Amino acid sequence: MLDKNLIVGVYDNEDNLMSTVGRLRKKGVEIFDCFTPYPVHNLDKEMGIKRSNLTVGAFICGSLGFLSGTLLQFYMMTNHLGTFKSWPMNIGGKPMDYLMLPSMMPVMFELTILFTAFGIGILFFIRSRMIHGKIAAILDPRQTQDRLLIAIEPGHLGISRDELNQILKEEGAIELRERKDGEQVVINV
Amino acid sequence: MYEASIRKPLVTGNKTITDISDDICRPIENKPTKLWYLGFTISFIFLGIMGVSLAWTTWEGIGTWGVNKTIMWGWDITNFVFWVGIGHAGTLISAILLLFRQKWRMAINRSAEAMTIFAVMCAAIFPLFHMGRVWLGYWPLPLPNAFGSLWVNFNSPLLWDVFAISTYFSVSLLFWYLGLIPDIATVRDRATTKARKFWYGFFAMGWDGSARTWHRYEVVSLILAGVSTPLVLSVHTIVSFDFATSVIPGWHTTIFPPYFVAGAIFSGFGMVLTLLVIARSVLKLTDYITVEHLEAMTKVVMLTGSMVGLAYLTEFFIAQYSGVEYEQYAFLNRATGPYWWAYWTMMTCNLLAPQVFWFKWARTTPWFIFIMSIVVNIGMWFERFVIIVTSLHRDYLPSSWAMYSPTITEVGIFLGTMGLFFTCFFLFSKYLPVVNMSEMKSIVKSRE
Repeated sequence: MLDKNLIVGVYDNEDNLMSTVGRLRKKGVEIFDCFTPYPVHNLDKEMGIKRSNLTVGAFICGSLGFLSGTLLQFYMMTNHLGTFKSWPMNIGGKPMDYLMLPSMMPVMFELTILFTAFGIGILFFIRSRMIHGKIAAILDPRQTQDRLLIAIEPGHLGISRDELNQILKEEGAIELRERKDGEQVVINV
Repeated sequence: MYEASIRKPLVTGNKTITDISDDICRPIENKPTKLWYLGFTISFIFLGIMGVSLAWTTWEGIGTWGVNKTIMWGWDITNFVFWVGIGHAGTLISAILLLFRQKWRMAINRSAEAMTIFAVMCAAIFPLFHMGRVWLGYWPLPLPNAFGSLWVNFNSPLLWDVFAISTYFSVSLLFWYLGLIPDIATVRDRATTKARKFWYGFFAMGWDGSARTWHRYEVVSLILAGVSTPLVLSVHTIVSFDFATSVIPGWHTTIFPPYFVAGAIFSGFGMVLTLLVIARSVLKLTDYITVEHLEAMTKVVMLTGSMVGLAYLTEFFIAQYSGVEYEQYAFLNRATGPYWWAYWTMMTCNLLAPQVFWFKWARTTPWFIFIMSIVVNIGMWFERFVIIVTSLHRDYLPSSWAMYSPTITEVGIFLGTMGLFFTCFFLFSKYLPVVNMSEMKSIVKSRE
């Protein structure tokens, strides 16, 4: 994102940002992204972001966890897992077959949770391209404090630049900027 | 924005979103106060006491403890259950209240989750050192026979506990860290020193507040809350299985899982109140953690306190009604035997004391809430002591009846874990934002 050319509108109010997004979308402008210091309710819907598929990933990871818990315990506690012989321990003559299923439940459950949580966590970091030590591509140091930003690619406008500037201004943008070749300049309209 | 007129604002003092960053980052960006140094030093001394006591236990063995053949779980499992219970409030606040869309959780979830993590760390110390040879602490892991230990026994609730507690710790840590990322990014972008820019930048993972990332972030938070909720219920259920699956009179009851979970939340909220009543005034956060928040928490304390109270009365009644002499004796012995003082401390602190919260004055007076929270902490510690020690000290065989009192080493370890807990909390309050800034920003009514 660091090398993209962008037009940036700076807001100090979420309602203004929301109405800008709504108006631009109606005009058919493709919004590159918005940057906000806090999750703005319904902004994702307004921008037309599709619901994330991470939930499917979570389900798959959870199922894997359940499977590992089941296989792990059947392997260690019984001789019933295929042709494997794991030399299970006879503990006080307690069942060493499927009859011990009830006592396997807690560990199956815990591993399901563990895999779901870490699975979705890791998938989230991959999908959002986040990793420790990554240099953040921020447009304004205040975008994580109290400023809300809208970014539009000049190539995907669909309306004239003047019209865009007009809309941003009308909807209460406190500043307009353009980033070209990594340099940001304030545009006076 | 929709404002319900019957509810008071969650943030007072007409804060703007700029004020939130300024107020909450202040302890991180300034030198700590004298009070912080004082508190940290005291906690650190206690941490040192833990180090010495644990070193002595490792060097000399479990003989340095007061546990004996009859009461093999004395202070040590009491403290283990006590600390695990403390942790539950954090997950209740951050996960269950998120699912119930309770917005008052936002001001306190960060610090409560931090407490969860520190409390579970304290808890883990006890069973680990009770094993006697702490350097073989990896033996409860499911390792093949060739590693020295034999296969672990999945029929044992103690092993379930290993899985439950370690899952609980790691998932809580992940949930906590995920919640911290946007706030770490805020600190990074405000940073004026190189070191702060580097370290907060490192842990912020390149967070830029993009709407797409926020969208996914909210999905992940919801899923994590969804899995943490059954997880937190399962953790104390499994802790209660350590007792309930045995055949010891006083332990062998089906009421244990719900009773333990309610007790855990009760004691956890006690500890959250103890810390937050102090922290909100020391860190000048009274506009964020308002009396409203304290009041909401005291209501939870009253509810869960009454639930454990009901459980005490139920188990006592059922024991008499069951017709099993051993059960009948176990409960009569708790109330009138040599440990009667522990039983009645528990009853007073957990069943009677929280009933004062029926009165509005009690729910809205911080100094009084602080005192009551200490009472709750004491009461819940005694609950575990009563369950463990009084049930064990009268065996089926009168020849093995015994008494238990802790040694200085055990006292040292327990006070030491307090030191560990508070040391971690002081460091947390210095280096990380104690209130979730990004969530608070989404609920302030007045904007710039």
